[in-house]
Amino acid sequence: MTPNVAAKAVANDGWRAPDGVLFRGECLNKSFGGVHAVRDISLDITQGSVFAIIGPNGAGKSTLLNLMSGIYQPDRGAMRLEGVDLVGLPAYRRVRLGLGRTFQKIRLFKHLTVLENVLAGFHVHHRIPAWQYIVHARVFQRDYARCRDEAMRLLEFVGLTPRAATPAASLAYGEQRMLELARALATAPRLLLIDEPAAGLNAAEVEKLLDRIGRLRARGMTIVVVEHNMDLVMQIADRVLVMDYGQYLFEGSPAEVQASPAVIAAYLGD
Amino acid sequence: MRLALLLAAAAAIAAVPVFFEDSYWRANLTICAINVMLAIGLDFILGYAGQLNLGHSAFYGIGAYASTLLIMKLDTPFWMAFALAMALSGVAGMALSIFAVRLRGHYLAIASLGFAVIVHQVLLNWISVTQGPLGIYAIKPPPAIALPGLPVIAFSNPANMFYLVAGFALLFYLLLDQLARSPIGETLTAIREDEVSAASLGINCAAWKVFAFGVGAAVAGAAGAFYASFVGTLVPDAFIITESFTILAMVILGGMGTLIGPVLGAIVLTILPELLRGFGDLRLVLYGFALMLAVLFMPGGMAQAARLARALCGRVLRAQVPG
Amino acid sequence: MSTVILQQGINGIVFGSLYVLVALGLTLIYGVLVQINFAHADVVTLGAFAAYFFTFVFGGNYLVSIGVALVVGAALGWLVNAAIFAPLRERGSELLPLIATIGASILLQNAMLIWFGPIPYAFDSPYSNAVLRLWGGTYITWQNLIIIGVSTLTIAMLYAFMKLTYMGKALRAVAQDRETAGLMGIDPNKLIMLTFVIASALAGMGGAMLGPILVLTPFAGTTVIVKAFAIVIIGGFGNVEGTIIAGLLVGLIESYTTQLVNPGLTDIVVFTLLLAMLALRPTGLIAEKREENV
Ligand SMILES: Nc1ncnc2c1ncn2[C@@H]1O[C@H](COP(=O)(O)OP(=O)(O)O)[C@@H](O)[C@H]1O
Ligand SMILES: [Mg+2]
Repeated sequence: MTPNVAAKAVANDGWRAPDGVLFRGECLNKSFGGVHAVRDISLDITQGSVFAIIGPNGAGKSTLLNLMSGIYQPDRGAMRLEGVDLVGLPAYRRVRLGLGRTFQKIRLFKHLTVLENVLAGFHVHHRIPAWQYIVHARVFQRDYARCRDEAMRLLEFVGLTPRAATPAASLAYGEQRMLELARALATAPRLLLIDEPAAGLNAAEVEKLLDRIGRLRARGMTIVVVEHNMDLVMQIADRVLVMDYGQYLFEGSPAEVQASPAVIAAYLGD
Repeated sequence: MRLALLLAAAAAIAAVPVFFEDSYWRANLTICAINVMLAIGLDFILGYAGQLNLGHSAFYGIGAYASTLLIMKLDTPFWMAFALAMALSGVAGMALSIFAVRLRGHYLAIASLGFAVIVHQVLLNWISVTQGPLGIYAIKPPPAIALPGLPVIAFSNPANMFYLVAGFALLFYLLLDQLARSPIGETLTAIREDEVSAASLGINCAAWKVFAFGVGAAVAGAAGAFYASFVGTLVPDAFIITESFTILAMVILGGMGTLIGPVLGAIVLTILPELLRGFGDLRLVLYGFALMLAVLFMPGGMAQAARLARALCGRVLRAQVPG
Repeated sequence: MSTVILQQGINGIVFGSLYVLVALGLTLIYGVLVQINFAHADVVTLGAFAAYFFTFVFGGNYLVSIGVALVVGAALGWLVNAAIFAPLRERGSELLPLIATIGASILLQNAMLIWFGPIPYAFDSPYSNAVLRLWGGTYITWQNLIIIGVSTLTIAMLYAFMKLTYMGKALRAVAQDRETAGLMGIDPNKLIMLTFVIASALAGMGGAMLGPILVLTPFAGTTVIVKAFAIVIIGGFGNVEGTIIAGLLVGLIESYTTQLVNPGLTDIVVFTLLLAMLALRPTGLIAEKREENV
């Protein structure tokens, strides 16, 4: 943790998270010109849970995720990750607090290899004295080896080991999605935000994805999944937030969501 | 492998002046080493960090004029002036990078072009200091080095001057290569490929752009200081914006994003036009044509061509081994 | 004193309207392709040479030579697009076309150097010496009157084309949102080609009228183009109205700096303004802020 962030955490000591709440967003708003993409959205994400955000296309799910990860700043509203105020904090600073993410429109480093993509994800974890960046001595060597090991383990986790030396651009679509996941995991997030991970995947790949999300959760990671495939959400989510036209429509367990007339109306009316 | 290459490079530097005895060629060799510095410095900014810098000639000019003026007006010792010139160019690079932080791609290209125009015009018009278009004459070479027990090494001797400049070029190459092979290389290429993604991995893109510009510009500053002390005269037009384009061509034809590529690019584009002198102005037409063709058909430059050739050789060899 | 101010104002507008012609081409290309074309400089130069040869070697009328330069420019624009931008479009790189056009520019300049030589051409328009007296002791040459007239007419026609014709509307639509290109049922390749031809025709005309003002050498276009880039940025890349205002503004700033301060400082003033603009309002004089859609 950088000193600055630590100071901020102390300054916010007055705020106490309700038991087990890792992330809290209050009354978040974001407009683009005339489009009110996110309107008065509040959410509590419990430590260790899988939290799904669903809704039709254009509902504002990605925008909400972008607000959480710091790509956009909210027009109004508050956000805290374990008591640390996130509003105004740029995206790169939030990574050190434990926020990781993937993108709906895949944004890999296309000209880098699969391995290099993951290695870039260790950026916040290097502990090398400045001079060793020029003279690659002991600490550097150890860091180098550790990152490579760790990266290969992550590639194994997502099933891309044989593709390590391939340029990311030449991966199949499903593989690219898995690589985005591995790269985000390299930052060692406590809260992982994934945007439509199943889009464009075939049935076998979706199966694998569900399995990996389950395993991450078993390790204690908190995960937010944006998804518009209902069935998938029902299988993995502990809690579901339904959005429509940027607004809150419903929140509850998967079973409650399925039973909600408002949700059914929105989906059928779509 | 790398050590072998390094030794080969050192041996080549040592041997080259022996083969080229006439002073015309020795002068070109030193210019070649200066161009290598310029090309790898630009490549660090453009090829690694992906920042469209068209103002490299400005950093070069700042280094040349700063070192010369420090020596001639303030009696600063050469090596001190050299270090200060590098620092000043580096700071200029960091100042320009403020635009890189706020602007993307083409806007930065134009901003850096504008910066280069301003620096060139200031050199032309600040006559009380730079003597404007008349130029500065009789700039001395670096002071001779007298080591006990060895003959005095005088840099008025073109071979020695070449050794000095080429030695520094090699030093800077190693420095940048080590940086590029460290996680800093990963960080810069991540920024080049996609800034939003890079930020999502915790990379402070702004700070690293400042770093890349600072390093690349400082190396250009060193090249400038050597240029002034080698050529002995300085005129603003040596640092006109088209000079940036020439350096850019070296990086592109060599292969940006690798360090060895721009080194080759600088060597070829310095020596080749000299060899083609018989063709007169046609050589520059060819130069422009080559740049266009490279972008269209071989955007990875010579480095890409070498990789392709190696892959092809490998395939041919394997095809010949039965079984 | 006020005569000087008025006179420099007139001169500034003359220069400014030529800058507008050249910069509009860059802005149109940027609007449609989001690419920078350095070879635009050589379209200007070649336009100037075309006008020169038409007038002085073939004995044609100077006014007609502006039309000749227009055609030469359009042809070169077509070539630049076909040879560089069209093949590179698929790569989606912002760097490669820019560098390729720098290569093309080096090629064209040195080819012109071979053909035309390095010695500046004395391009005296027959209208340069005929003076029209205006109020308060100010005057304007017929040449400058032609420049203002032709530029204004051309810009007005371009404007009408963009606002009134279907093709022009399609062009503006693409400039605002490239994805709607296909939706309007117009082949984007044709649209891009058309843009290059129009943009370069403007530059060629600009060259024909700049010829008598500039020191006409194969490198003349570069100084103009660098300034045109500054104008395009100050006006907001892709923004036609902004470019017109910025072009006239730069012409006036140059004219006044030359007269009242020091001719050597004009570029410094213009480019400092550019950098200040980029630092404070990177989207140009009249444009709103946009966030990248992630
Ligand atoms: N950067 C942006 N600029 C303008 N409009 C945007 C931007 N990002 C999102 N929008 C708009 O906000 C609305 C919500 O988009 P988004 O959050 O991507 O929806 P979802 O992810 O639920 O499909 C859409 O109407 C979209 O067009
Ligand atoms: Mg979305």
